[in-house]
Amino acid sequence: MTASLQRGINALKEVIDAPVASFFSSCVHCGLCADACLFYTETGDPKYTPIHKLEPLKRVYKQEFTLLGRLAKMAGLAKPVTDDELESWSELVYDSCTLCGRCSMVCPVGNDLTYMIRKLREGMAVSGHAPAGIVSATRRTVELGGPMGLKWPAVQNVIKHVEADSGHKVPVDQAGAEYMVLLSSMEIVNYPEYIGALAKIFNKAGITWTLSSEAFEATNAGIQIGNSDLAREIVSRIVNAAEKLGVKKVLSPECGHAYMAIRWEGPNLMGRPFKFEVVHVLELLDELRGKGVLKMKDKLKTPVTLHDPCQIVRRGGVLNAPEALLKEVVVEFRPMSDRGKMNWCCGGGGGASAIHEPAAEELRFTAFKRKKAQIEETGVNTMVTFCANCRITLEESIDHYEMNTQLLGLTELLAEHLED
Amino acid sequence: MDKEETLLDHMEREGMSRRTFLKYCASLASLMALPPSAAAAMAEALGKAKRPSVIWLPFQECTGCTESITRSHTPSVEGLIFDMISLDYQETLMAAAGHQSEEALQTAMKENFGKYVLIVDGSVATGLDGAYSCIAGRSNLDLLKEAARGAAAIIALGSCAAFGGIPKANPNPTGAVAVSDIIKDKPIVNISGCPPIPVVITGVLAHYLTFGTLPELDGLGRPKAFYGETIHDRCYRRPFYDQGKFAKTFDDEGARKGWCLFELGCKGPVTYNACATTKWNDSTSFPIESGHGCIGCSEPDFWDAGGFYKALSTPANPLKYVGAAAAIGVAAGAAVSVANRASKNAAKAAHEKTTLSDIEK
Repeated sequence: MTASLQRGINALKEVIDAPVASFFSSCVHCGLCADACLFYTETGDPKYTPIHKLEPLKRVYKQEFTLLGRLAKMAGLAKPVTDDELESWSELVYDSCTLCGRCSMVCPVGNDLTYMIRKLREGMAVSGHAPAGIVSATRRTVELGGPMGLKWPAVQNVIKHVEADSGHKVPVDQAGAEYMVLLSSMEIVNYPEYIGALAKIFNKAGITWTLSSEAFEATNAGIQIGNSDLAREIVSRIVNAAEKLGVKKVLSPECGHAYMAIRWEGPNLMGRPFKFEVVHVLELLDELRGKGVLKMKDKLKTPVTLHDPCQIVRRGGVLNAPEALLKEVVVEFRPMSDRGKMNWCCGGGGGASAIHEPAAEELRFTAFKRKKAQIEETGVNTMVTFCANCRITLEESIDHYEMNTQLLGLTELLAEHLED
Repeated sequence: MDKEETLLDHMEREGMSRRTFLKYCASLASLMALPPSAAAAMAEALGKAKRPSVIWLPFQECTGCTESITRSHTPSVEGLIFDMISLDYQETLMAAAGHQSEEALQTAMKENFGKYVLIVDGSVATGLDGAYSCIAGRSNLDLLKEAARGAAAIIALGSCAAFGGIPKANPNPTGAVAVSDIIKDKPIVNISGCPPIPVVITGVLAHYLTFGTLPELDGLGRPKAFYGETIHDRCYRRPFYDQGKFAKTFDDEGARKGWCLFELGCKGPVTYNACATTKWNDSTSFPIESGHGCIGCSEPDFWDAGGFYKALSTPANPLKYVGAAAAIGVAAGAAVSVANRASKNAAKAAHEKTTLSDIEK
């Protein structure tokens, strides 16, 4: 139990880099980021303005790295960042920020606010101000292997069921396979059909693949809590396993932040390029679609809309594959008004769904009103998405508002309608 | 016009809907950077306003200011507000002439003593005891002093009244001065410009009628809401300035492409006015949009500011300053960078690898 303010401030000093300095010095205080944030638009409370959430980081930057700020600090005119302040800021840095990245998109001077929130979390985590829910998810990931505390024997059990249900074999620890497949605990527990769907698609395309008993979990609570040391430890399990099996590619599951963790943060955390390529499952499927391997036997008759997960589309850069794939399998696709890279978050990303405190959940439901309005505007009762965490968050919120909306996972939907 | 008729009644009679009026109040409020709630307050106050008495004294002027207001755009809300004020004395517009008109002035001053708004356009001649400009045998100087005595506030309309303007330009044969050089004990609003923008005067009148006070003024007595920013800062050609793209002559490729007119003498960077935002002729255009640089007409002594086509001063030996500035910048940058690196390295050195227990208190 060694978290302390001093460690927190030291961590902030450590993570402030040239981009952060240029972002803070080029902010023109226009406030456009407020209207891009669903926590602001749905509550109307100005404290949720994204740039305001960065206040502690900004003050540390000014007091430690600018001439005037240093002089002010020396003269005792600067307001120091205190433990109480960071405690009160936890809500702004975790509960009300899903790292969705919409604010970074709209900033007219190109400031990546999300990048800075991620950095601020480094200080929050080691000063002991991360929400208990995320702390325990991180603990389970580091100690047990996944945020839900799932261990390999349990996964083996699920695999047995999947093999029986789907009639396809699920290879484990096969060295030299083309793809090593990662999963997220949520998929294993809540949507095991995903594994069966993948098996079916891989077999159909004739691609070799494997799971690793040493690293099956793709999610990375270290990134959500904002601690690079722990995030590195978690991601290195995957990297070591993949390099040991000698696979060419690692397949990230639908889960948004898992993709972010392995594809974008991973090499930076490891400090070196990977010896394998990271591919998102939808990128693979879109490639197969392009090759004509992915043929549908029929299409879903009901009209559907699509929820784009932030970490995959806006932050992850998988921009065109989702809609192209969806159109293969549905008769009618009614897009939402703000979609693709300008989509609105489900409200539960960036660790927010792991907080499990009444106030945070209430806030999450309030923020969901944006998505609710978007769904209602399309006038359809079926929504497709491709992130297990979005799916859980959306389902909880849909239940909360007693909406008549059915949720489907894109990969499963494709597998279900795939030619036998 | 019935003296008891309110502005709204009058507008309705003229066929202007209440909705148009409300929209006008909202745009006026936003133009003046007032909070949105001010639009409603403004609509209410203006709607109920009885005709305020206004006396308009024209001195050494060209009638351009009057033209600017009366010919703004028709039928405009500005025009109607203007119709609405009880313009008890305005030589150009009044039907009366000769003794009759001077009588009207005297009556208006007496009846509304302490309450009327005095608008002055034109500068005041002081040479030869003011003999250069007289009305009905009395000098402007004399008339101004008399009319100012009973005024609640004075609006110095146009650059001549505000700063002396063209009459005051070198060699200033008439000894022309601004209203504020003569009158020291009354609130004066300078609405400069040659001529000023119509909406600025209605804006000031609307503010006065709504809140009973004059709007916030800048150091030169001009309403901040309209004169708070330079033409340059709001100019649509500003991006070209930032990219260093300048028209060199009025008929070169740059001019045709609409590049910045700075090198052709544009005074936009030193001129505070709202032309670039409100524009002219029903928001159609403004000088820079028509291809000519700003001449800085809303600034004091614009006529003697060194020529309309001479670029604003650049350092005589730019390299000298650039060299010195660069040297200072490099030194300061290096010092800050060394200091920052040191503190970042110290933070790195103090880093202890995080373990699970480190994220809990």
